[in-house]
Amino acid sequence: MRARLVSCSLVAALTALGASTLAGQAPPNASANRPARTADGKPNLNGIWQVVNTANWDLEPHSAEEGIPGGLGVVEGGAIPYLPAALATRNQNRAKRSTADPVGKCFIPGVPRVTYVPYPFEMVQTEKYLAIAYEFAHTQRIIYTDGSKHVEALDFWMGDSRGHWEGDTLVVDVIDFNDKTWFDNAGNHHSDKLHVVERYTPVDANHLNYAATIDDPETFSRPWTISMPLYRRLEPNLQIVDYDCVSMFWKRFTSSTAK
Amino acid sequence: MRGSSWLVRGVVIGCLAGVPCGVRGQGTSDRKRYSPPRTAGGQPNISGMWEPGPGRPLEKARGGPWRPPAGSTAGTGSAFTFFAPGDELPGGRATDRSPMVFEPADGIIPLQPWAVARRDEIIASQDKVEFLDPRVRCLQAGVPRANLPVFYNSYQILQTPGRVVILYEWNHMTRIIPLDGRPHLPSAVRLANGDSRGHWEGDTLVVDVTNFNDDTWVVGVGAPPEGAPGTALTTGHGVFHSDQLHVIERYTMTNADTIRYEATIEDPKVFTQPWKIALDAFTRGKPNHQLFEYACHEGNRSNVQLLTGVDIEK
Repeated sequence: MRARLVSCSLVAALTALGASTLAGQAPPNASANRPARTADGKPNLNGIWQVVNTANWDLEPHSAEEGIPGGLGVVEGGAIPYLPAALATRNQNRAKRSTADPVGKCFIPGVPRVTYVPYPFEMVQTEKYLAIAYEFAHTQRIIYTDGSKHVEALDFWMGDSRGHWEGDTLVVDVIDFNDKTWFDNAGNHHSDKLHVVERYTPVDANHLNYAATIDDPETFSRPWTISMPLYRRLEPNLQIVDYDCVSMFWKRFTSSTAK
Repeated sequence: MRGSSWLVRGVVIGCLAGVPCGVRGQGTSDRKRYSPPRTAGGQPNISGMWEPGPGRPLEKARGGPWRPPAGSTAGTGSAFTFFAPGDELPGGRATDRSPMVFEPADGIIPLQPWAVARRDEIIASQDKVEFLDPRVRCLQAGVPRANLPVFYNSYQILQTPGRVVILYEWNHMTRIIPLDGRPHLPSAVRLANGDSRGHWEGDTLVVDVTNFNDDTWVVGVGAPPEGAPGTALTTGHGVFHSDQLHVIERYTMTNADTIRYEATIEDPKVFTQPWKIALDAFTRGKPNHQLFEYACHEGNRSNVQLLTGVDIEK
């Protein structure tokens, strides 16, 4: 009991520390930096966002390799809690990462990887839907926030996303995945039992915290969580353009098209 | 006499039921105006779930009638592949066989002579990857092709302050159309679906689309039957464009369940003049309609292997 109390206090203290650190980093005019709201009072997520990290190459802490920037990792606790056989698969995947990464074949990246590919994406928020247009391979996603239920007995590269608001956090439940995507270029993988819960939480007008809890009893010994900031892109008149991966893919094999 | 009274009745019923009267009139100005409700932000509200409108031939065949050789199954299921005077209307949702092309008035896409020859070569060489319909390679549909009715497409339109967003089921294409008057992208930036800038003219959304690359075809519906010459097609297949393509689109609701679409298409490298199409492109979908993932390239392993010799799974 006492131990639990202590650990609770510790969590509270760390949380407070985190909050004060964030407050300390905020610009002087903090009130102008509050998250904007939509007409229906929800945090306004409309806009273009992007991560600045190396999660796309490896979710776990990793040293740099040629063409791959090093990084401190985004997994809470540091390591992904694999079951032994799944860890062996990951290591096999990693050994052939330069050719076997599905994203290298221009396949749809899946969730959560599409968030940190790390191309920008635009969120389009209405009362009932949050559509996300990702620059990478024009991946598209529609998150239903209308209280509707998951579709059943289907599988998708991007899963089926149903969201709801918990206070100012948009919580998105994603199921109905196939087993063909990787979480990163390091071969971290999953089965079709994957269940992802994403949390988009405004920190201030131009930052969201993005967290994804990943559960897959066939692959991991317990659920685990990644988290990272999303940064609003502030360039005037910015828009997402094309990374039309499939077109580039074909151009590898054909000298020209019929034009 | 009996025949003509049926004809009169048919026309009257058609008009009362909201079926466009004078389908070749194309312009919406001569029709009774429908004014859609407004969004909270004050835009005419065209949001919602939409499905493809009725099919029609895109153009008239410049080469006249063509028939598949006896015994051939070519053309099966390609209702609008070719049309000849006296042909019966195909089945399905077809209600009208007038071409979508209404300018020029002959209903034929005004290709420059070299482009006519090039199109024939493209259609005759559909077994070669560099001539293949971009759709088969899972490339983006482009504009206006994405708005032509095909059964594998449906649409969701969202409107936010300063934006109209069209989500297409076909190959997960998304068009974000800013309404804020910003200039087009620098000309060095090229996009498969072009760069869209919109504004409202009354109840009509007008979208100016530029900055295309040349990855896409302008139009194309269904699939061409094997052996059909390009000059026989009424689908627009093989009508390519250069990076000088410029499209001006007009989206107008003509009733609560229909969006009329018109597009002016110009490309001085390929066409002799700007040309125009008009069609009832979007029909209101059921409220519980939803777009499903269209993972095209991901399932294209056999085509890739056939055309390039490369097995992408290995």
